Parts: sequence; C-alpha cells; structure tokens
Amino acid sequence: MLSEYLPVLIQMITATGLAASMLILSVVLGKSGNQSDIKNSPYECGMLPIGEGQPRFSVKFYMVAMLFVLFDIEVVFMYPWAVVFRDMIVTHTIMFWSMLSFAGILLVAYLYALKKGALNWKE
Amino acid sequence: MPAYYLEIAVVVLGLVLLLVEAFTPPQHKRRIGWAALAGIAATFLLLLTVKSHCGCDSPMWQFYDDSSLSLFFKGLALLCTAFVLMLGLEYLPVLEKYSARAGGGPATGEFFALPVLICAGLMWMASAIDITTIFLSLELTTIGFYIMVAYMRRNVGSLEAGVKYLILGALSTGILVYGLSWLFGATGQTGLDAIRTALPSAARGPALFAFALILIALCFKIAAVPFHFWVPDVYQGAPTPVTAFLSVGSKAAGFLVAIRLMEPFLAVESLRTTCIAILVAVACATLILGNLAAIPQGNFKRLLAYSSISHAGFLLLALASDRHTGELTSTRIIAFYLSAYLCMTLLAFAVLIIINKSTGSDELKAFDGLHRRNPFLGFATLIAAASLAGVPLTAGFLGKFFVFIAAAGAQQWLAIGIAVAGAAAGFYYYFKVIRHVYWNTAPEGAAAIPVSPVAKSLLIILIAATLVLGVYPQLILGLL
Repeated sequence: MLSEYLPVLIQMITATGLAASMLILSVVLGKSGNQSDIKNSPYECGMLPIGEGQPRFSVKFYMVAMLFVLFDIEVVFMYPWAVVFRDMIVTHTIMFWSMLSFAGILLVAYLYALKKGALNWKE
Repeated sequence: MPAYYLEIAVVVLGLVLLLVEAFTPPQHKRRIGWAALAGIAATFLLLLTVKSHCGCDSPMWQFYDDSSLSLFFKGLALLCTAFVLMLGLEYLPVLEKYSARAGGGPATGEFFALPVLICAGLMWMASAIDITTIFLSLELTTIGFYIMVAYMRRNVGSLEAGVKYLILGALSTGILVYGLSWLFGATGQTGLDAIRTALPSAARGPALFAFALILIALCFKIAAVPFHFWVPDVYQGAPTPVTAFLSVGSKAAGFLVAIRLMEPFLAVESLRTTCIAILVAVACATLILGNLAAIPQGNFKRLLAYSSISHAGFLLLALASDRHTGELTSTRIIAFYLSAYLCMTLLAFAVLIIINKSTGSDELKAFDGLHRRNPFLGFATLIAAASLAGVPLTAGFLGKFFVFIAAAGAQQWLAIGIAVAGAAAGFYYYFKVIRHVYWNTAPEGAAAIPVSPVAKSLLIILIAATLVLGVYPQLILGLL
C-alpha cells in the first residue's frame, strides 16, 4: 500500500535535492573566485542597491491582501457548487438558499470593510 | 423548532450587529452592547422551548446532535456570553482608553459583536458530532478569540497576549487537524457514531497516535499541563471580560468536545487502559502544577489563570473516571462542575473588573481593605474565593466532591491523593485573597468603590447561583 506513495517520496527528494544543490553549488563555486564588496552585493539590474532588503510596507497592502484572500476563497467554494448546480437544483432547492446565505454573509463583510475604510487607499 | 435555528439566529444577530456597528456614531457604541445582550437573552428564551429531535428529516442530523447534553451546553454558552457582554459594558471605560483608532475615537462596537459570533461557534461546538463540524466550530470560536484577546491595541500587554494566543492557537489547531486526519485515516469515517463502530477494528498504532494528537490539541484549548504555557500571559494581557470568556466559555465547549472525541477511544477495550493512563497522568500533572504555581501569584488575573489550570485538572480526572459511577456519570459531573465553575469564575472576574475600574490595578494589593471600601464587593469576593477553593455549601465544593466520588469509583487512588493535596493548596491561595479583603487595611486615602446597578444585579445573580448550586445540585443534574 505504501508503494503507492513512492511518487510523493520522489517528489520530496527532488524538491529538497534541487534546493540543496543550488545552495551548495553557489557556495562551492561562488567563493572560488576573487571577492570584493561590489561583487558580493546583490545584483539589481546594474543599479547600486539603496535602502534595506526588507523595507516597511504600509499596512494598506496587508489589508487589501487579506480582503482579497477572503473574497477569493468565495469563488473556490462557488466553483464546485456551480458544477453540480444544474443537476441538483431540481431536487434540492436548499442548495440555492445556502449559497445565497453564504454570499449574504460575504456581502455583510464587504459592506463592513467598505464602511470602515479598509479599501480607502488615500488615507 | 429544530435546535440549529438557534445557531442561525445567533449568527444573523452577530452579522446584523456588525453591520449596524459600522453605521453607528462613536458616542452610541454602548447601544450595540445592549442590543447584543437583548438578542442573546431572547435566544436563551428560545432555547428553553426547543425539544430534543423535532422529528423533521434533515441531512443536518448527521452532523448535529440535539440531545439534552448538547442543549445544556448551548445554554451554558449563551449564559456565559450574556454575562461577558454585561462585564464588557462594565469594562467600557478601560476599553475606550486602550482601543483608540489612529485618527479617531475609541473603537468599542466590535467588542460586543464578536462575542455573539463566538457564542455561535460555542453553540455549534456543543452539537458537533462530526469531526468536520467539530473543527469548523472550534475555529469559529478561536478566530474570534484571536481578535478579542488583542482588542486593546494601545496596550502592550494585550498585544503580547494576542500574539502568543495566535501562535499557540494556530499550532494547536494544526495538531488537532493532524490528529483528526489520522483518526479519519484509521477509521475512514468522519461522523463520531461511525468512528465508534469502526475504531475497534482499526490498527492500534494509528488510533493511539490520533488519540495523542487530539489530546494534545484539546489540552491547549482547556489549559492542561504541559500545554498551559500560554494561559497566564494571555489571561493577564487580554481585556478582563475576554479573559472571563476564555476561561469559562472556551473551556466548557472544549470539554464537551473532549468528552465526545475521547469517548470512542475509551469504548475500545484494547485502547482503554492506555488512554485512561494518559488522561490520568495529564490530570495529575495539571493538578500539581496548576496549584503549586498559583501559590506565589500576586496578580489576581494570573492567580485565576492558574486556578483555571487546576480546575482543568479536576475536570480531566472526572473525564478519566467514566463508567464506574452509576447515576453520576462523568459527563454529568463535568456538566455540573462547569456550571459551578461558570458562576464562581465569572463572579471573581466581575469583582476584578469593578475594582480595576476604580483603582486601575489587577494586583491582589488592590483588594486591601475591600470590606471597608465596599462591603458588598468584599462579600462577593469571599463567596467567589470560598467556592473556588471548595468550601462546603458552595457550588465549587460539590463539583470537587463529585469528582472525588467518580475517581474513587474508578479506584484512581494516587490521583485522588494529588487532587486532595491540590485542593488543600487551593485553600491557601484562595484564602490569601480573602485575607487581603478582610484583614489587610486599605491604603491611606483610598476612596470607596462604587458599584453600578447593572454590576450589582450581576453580582447578586452569580452569588445566588453559586450558593444555590452548592446545596441543590439537582437543579443542574436534573437537566441532563
């Protein structure tokens, strides 16, 4: 039974092997030549790097990202629902109402986010 | 009326409150709290009219149980939420101070809308008999709590508590899902009934592994050693009404889930001895550590946090002593213990909130000379501490007594010894609070502490409930 999972094991070995070989090769091959500050700095399309590697982003980005995930997941739920809708709606009208209530909950969330100014970019 | 209409009603109430909140001007946010309280009270009245299994045929019954036990825990969740909302109204001045928005006034409306949604999660949890619904309802409550714990965003302690609770809560959720997936893998079923029939023929190794993972995750939720590290810090940092909600509502629902999830394992003879041994070991460790660590605490909230841990130990001991007790089944004992725990813990937190509002301190020193500054508050503290310690004629005593009966029936003599020692240690640190109230003198120039009429009625209800349950436990036991 476990042999069915062999592809998964191969996949895991390939993934870790690829990542490890990249890291190891860059250390082994990269450190052999001459070194200078300029050579060791990250390559940014030929521009001199300015600022830190991890600048602080405005919280607005996170807000939009979170809201995007919320409303994006909605589609994930709707997709399988839409696939079986035509066959099942004849016998189970409840599936229409359950999706309507689900969309209603999201609508409340959307209105709430709108009213609280979560989508207000200028602020 | 099928019982699940109640959850739908509570969810709708929460959504409406959230929407209304967005359109309410800041000076009227208090009304959200009153509306939430009225809605929860109305749902509680509706709950009284619900009969078990209305006979209507619905696929819902695969996932949803409406036995008297479930209805009882729904009632517990609703009552707890109502009390927490009242405490929240009382706590509003502190909340306003620490929840200010960047450019505007305080943001207090959601503080009353979120408990309603958490309550819906707790009620679902009370009825969940399928591992998917158990997990979903657990998440609904936990995610609500993440926000509530970190609600006072201008208070570093609250933020720290929020981060700790978020990380450890997410970790325990991950462990729970992993355990449930092993359970599903071992039995191929998601419904608890089907799992119960499939588990005896399942492989022993995966079943025990699933048991261990599920127990670990639930120990996080109910604050049992060795997964209790988050408890004192989160309890201390969170807004006090939320602490009360966490320690009562979350624990009660967590224990019902524990009863439901452990039951299939305990029913299998080959797994039973091992599972019981693990449960007893966890219970003993919880009793020892909870009680010993409570002794040196000088902060009332931390004291209650360790007290919450030690009560979890007693409840786990009851859970591990099933099957041996005849009339007093361990489920009924746990239900009674949790009702008693609700009354006395909420009473203690109510006193703390009133004192904190006047003195701005959660330390035990703030209780000095309380009986002179407000005799009624002093009396309320006395009842809460006596009941938490387990003085006869209070609800706390009967709860512990029932646990001892059950444990004696199961012949867990070592665990009983530890529990007795723990209860004795409890007398020391709970009576320390009473000493602060009645023996210590108030600092110079300490003013009397005012109690609003709402808070006073709340205290009277809780004191009466603690005393009545202490002499007439049939009130609760008769419901099950």
